[in-house]
Amino acid sequence: MKPIRRVLIANRGEIAVRIARTLRERDVTSIAVFSEPDRASLHVLLADEAYPIGPGPSRDSYLNLERVLETAKRVRADAVHPGYGFFAENPVFAKACAEAGLAFIGPKPETIAALGDKLAARAAAERAGVPIIPGSPGPVATLGEARDVAKRIGFPLMLKAAAGGGGKGMRVVRSDAELSAAWDVTRGEAGAAFGDDRVFVERAIERPRHVEAQILADSSGRVAFLGERECSVQRRHQKLLEETPSPAFDAKTRAAFGDAACRIAKAVGYLSAGTVEFILDEEGRFYFLEVNTRLQVEHPVTEMVTGLDLVAEQLAIAEGAPLSFGDTPPVPRGASMEARIIAEDPAANFMPSVGRVERVRFPQGPGVRNDAGIYRGYQVPVFYDSLLSKLVVWGEDREHARRRMLRALGEFVLEGLHHNVAFHRWLVAHEAFAAGNLSTRFLDEHFKPEMLAPDATAGEIALLAAALHAREQSLEVSLPGGNGVERSPWRWSDRRRAGGRTRA
Amino acid sequence: MKFWVTLAGHDREVTLRTEDETLVLEVDGRRLVADFHRLPDGEVYSLLVDGRSHEVRVATGADGLEVTLDGATTVPVEVRHPLEKMLRAAQGGARGLGGETILAPMPGLLVAYKVAAGDVVTPGQAVAVIEAMKMQNELTARHGGVAGEPLVAERSSVSAGQPLLRLKAAPA
Repeated sequence: MKPIRRVLIANRGEIAVRIARTLRERDVTSIAVFSEPDRASLHVLLADEAYPIGPGPSRDSYLNLERVLETAKRVRADAVHPGYGFFAENPVFAKACAEAGLAFIGPKPETIAALGDKLAARAAAERAGVPIIPGSPGPVATLGEARDVAKRIGFPLMLKAAAGGGGKGMRVVRSDAELSAAWDVTRGEAGAAFGDDRVFVERAIERPRHVEAQILADSSGRVAFLGERECSVQRRHQKLLEETPSPAFDAKTRAAFGDAACRIAKAVGYLSAGTVEFILDEEGRFYFLEVNTRLQVEHPVTEMVTGLDLVAEQLAIAEGAPLSFGDTPPVPRGASMEARIIAEDPAANFMPSVGRVERVRFPQGPGVRNDAGIYRGYQVPVFYDSLLSKLVVWGEDREHARRRMLRALGEFVLEGLHHNVAFHRWLVAHEAFAAGNLSTRFLDEHFKPEMLAPDATAGEIALLAAALHAREQSLEVSLPGGNGVERSPWRWSDRRRAGGRTRA
Repeated sequence: MKFWVTLAGHDREVTLRTEDETLVLEVDGRRLVADFHRLPDGEVYSLLVDGRSHEVRVATGADGLEVTLDGATTVPVEVRHPLEKMLRAAQGGARGLGGETILAPMPGLLVAYKVAAGDVVTPGQAVAVIEAMKMQNELTARHGGVAGEPLVAERSSVSAGQPLLRLKAAPA
């Protein structure tokens, strides 16, 4: 295969920045694409080259297949990196790249297609001898069939859309009555959301942990397991904080887990970086969930403990080169955590927020990495995912990493829009989190919005700040005004100044 | 100087005086003393309270001031002249539902209204659902009131700041 010298990054924001960094370190030309509202985005500023691909809505720009491919060909890219989201798990796009003579930095299109179908992925796992959650062997056609499955494996059950993902198209039922009520609704939703109303049934695990395996596979058929990541702390089925190693694992479980992940990868002829997701029940048994055929948001925690650059590995694999470490993957050292810094309001049901970054100061110091897509003055656009930054730390062990995360979160200054830094401070300081006692129900069990309410000390500090503001206003009016008339110090509604600075 | 602040739902009178870079605040019979220093970064101060270091930023929000503590925790504070308090007292009477206009907080799709014209809406009640950033979000009333006619059609796009519903003030 020919060497890759020019890579078009078919993505935006922090992940496009992260990919561009590796490309630039390797002296590979990084080519950004951008929608109209992203003209001033950080990925445009940091890439070597940048080209417009259309209006704000994703379907008109980042998901406009013809436009992205036409741009890649026109600017003479050798390869396309999809990042995550957008085209990352789209077999049609991967195939179109190959047909256009562009290397797609990721798995083969047929692998993406096969693993994108949850039922096919489950069947592949079963063939590879990997444990799967007890359930229907395939889609269930009628309510009667679903009832038969329920008799065999018992309640609670999960109804799952075959084409679903990211927590969408799933419903827990606890009784025969609930199953009957949910049946038509779940099928209808699956049909509406995914254009595919096939539904399967499996046992619901009440307090699952989410643990996933990072794998890398090269074109010689070598598959490496690079350790696990635990991503149990979630809201609305979206991960908020990830870590490695999992506090639930011992060496024996880890070995069995890595072996299972590699068996699946080998069974499907996997290529490039991928993640095999599992859930753990309360007894610590793991069951296959799905394969994500892409780089994950949380990949930096694996990089922190292995010293690898997963984007660089993907690049080498796409060139046909072997894994950088041959047959001996690096032994992970220490522990790492990642907090997703998101534009949302945890006190208002995690409602997304948009706005301008009025002020920002990122944490620094030993063991801290911050992959951000923002800067001071940046206007967060409404069209895209609300992930602003990934704060990642490394420590000698979990407790060291946790304390370092708390320290780094304490340094994080971000003002002008709602975000979840204060929420993460609460989370990482929580005793159940500190004890490693996690499940995907962590927030349901422990979090209430009022826990983020300012305490009495914060109230006093706020009073002092308000007083300083009052003083500022009165100082201002003690100066002679332009028209010789002094303004009242108490006209709070009038924020404009006669001359000079404007206020944010 | 004296003023009246509303913090976490409580009104109180505050007296403040400054000497060089020392701020002395009297509130509820207590004295708070802070060493303050303005940072060259907007209305941002470093405060040293009994030696403890805090960073605060004051910004103007929808309903008064928003004070951000240590970079991430925002506390809403209203600051008013004592005369205003006297005026309100003179107007007398218990306060009912304040009335307000519900605005779209961000561009998106107005999925549905949760209240109909003529409904009495209490503070905190959900009035509409808006979809943005791939998520559905409930908009809630802050002051409450009697719902007017919907200002936009359900399932239509709205821009940030667009009025969605007026709530008329109502006596308690």
